[in-house]
Amino acid sequence: MRKIIAPVVVLIVIGAGLAALFVSHTSPEPITSTYFLMDTVLTIKTTGGDAATINEHLYALASNVDSMTSYYKSGSETVRVNAAAGKGPVPVSPEYAALLKAAVAVEAIDHGRTFDIAISPVSSLWGFTTKDYRVPTAKKISDTLAYSHSDQLVLSDTTVQLRDSRARIDLGGIAKGYSLDVMEEYLRTVEPQPLQVNINFGGNLLLYSGGRKHDWKIGIQDPRGQGIIGTVRSGDAFVATSGDYERYFERDGKRYCHIIDPSTGYPGTLNQSVTVITDIEPMHGAIGDALGKVFFCSTAETQRSLFPAAQSQGTVGIVIVDAAGAQSTLGPITFVPTAAQ
Amino acid sequence: MKRSDRITAVVIVVAVTLVVVFWIVIHRTRGTVAVVRVYGKVVATVDLTFHEPQTLRITGTLGPLVIVADGKGSIRVTESTCPDQICVHTVPARSPGDQIICVPNHMVITVEGKATGIDALTQ
Repeated sequence: MRKIIAPVVVLIVIGAGLAALFVSHTSPEPITSTYFLMDTVLTIKTTGGDAATINEHLYALASNVDSMTSYYKSGSETVRVNAAAGKGPVPVSPEYAALLKAAVAVEAIDHGRTFDIAISPVSSLWGFTTKDYRVPTAKKISDTLAYSHSDQLVLSDTTVQLRDSRARIDLGGIAKGYSLDVMEEYLRTVEPQPLQVNINFGGNLLLYSGGRKHDWKIGIQDPRGQGIIGTVRSGDAFVATSGDYERYFERDGKRYCHIIDPSTGYPGTLNQSVTVITDIEPMHGAIGDALGKVFFCSTAETQRSLFPAAQSQGTVGIVIVDAAGAQSTLGPITFVPTAAQ
Repeated sequence: MKRSDRITAVVIVVAVTLVVVFWIVIHRTRGTVAVVRVYGKVVATVDLTFHEPQTLRITGTLGPLVIVADGKGSIRVTESTCPDQICVHTVPARSPGDQIICVPNHMVITVEGKATGIDALTQ
């Protein structure tokens, strides 16, 4: 009888090992859905919970934000506000008013020198709203800049007014980040809770694992090619990258990117890409998106001096690739360059 | 060798073989492939380890696109019926995680393969 024990023990051990292996690989498969919205791609990867339904609902929420904020879609609050420029206050939804307030709060950290939602008449000069790209004359730019600042905005909790009839606002710089805010708010309440939701909206991320505190490894796109320049680890967070490589045009060998520096009226040239990681709090998706533009249009010195203000608005850390391609970080994050991995 | 020892030996050999087979099945990694999707639906899969150039003609939501895998491991869009031609100017994709996107055509090429080791890519 004792002779049987050895093989039986071996069988049991192997069997248990196999069972463990099997169980570890039968955790729910993620469901990935791809949508096209706001002139970019929205990819949602959900693991656990009612994943397919969650993805569809998240898309519907982002789609609502597009209908509310779009510069182009008739009936959007932005279109209504712009159409009434110079005429008087326009009634807006409380959500829209709150979003404008968040945008103006980010502008305030640098007095509108590096981010301004009212810069859009200048963006239009360059053709970024119509995709009919051109390099405007310096005079045209300075004339247009005169009425392209947020001091044209009169905000209340229920109305928005643009003083000058030529002034326009464009929320393109924060709408993707704000969509992530709206999606995060929904994810917190959905039952049953998914294990993980990983949303990539045109390169802006929402990394959500609820209370499970997943340790995310975030790759940062190489601004001058395919692949990544390195990685950053983070808990649940919003991540927003502003780069000169996504939307740009070239004239006479010079690159003109779509992010206009509000202090000059010219496309920003100080950096190739800026990645801002913000913690999960209401509006921090929109704020991180806007802060990306602030730091994109700043020198290294200004970036350092503005960082405490960015931290007070929820920023955890920033990864910067400057115009020469040099990489640096701000805040208590560890960036691991690809070469070191 | 006693009979029980032989049984033990056979059981161990069979069990180890089972574990190895199981492990390989689970961790089977495909070679590097490029998956072409139009509005989320897979329209083509290209093996990038295949050593001959391959030309793909697909239809996006706007019109036709020509995609070329060079047989040396990279893939790119060579022609597209879109106004900006961003996809045509995108650096060829070769490593897992690389993407080429044509928004007007709702077309995304994603290189898939062994795990990229990252959870998400910020662009």
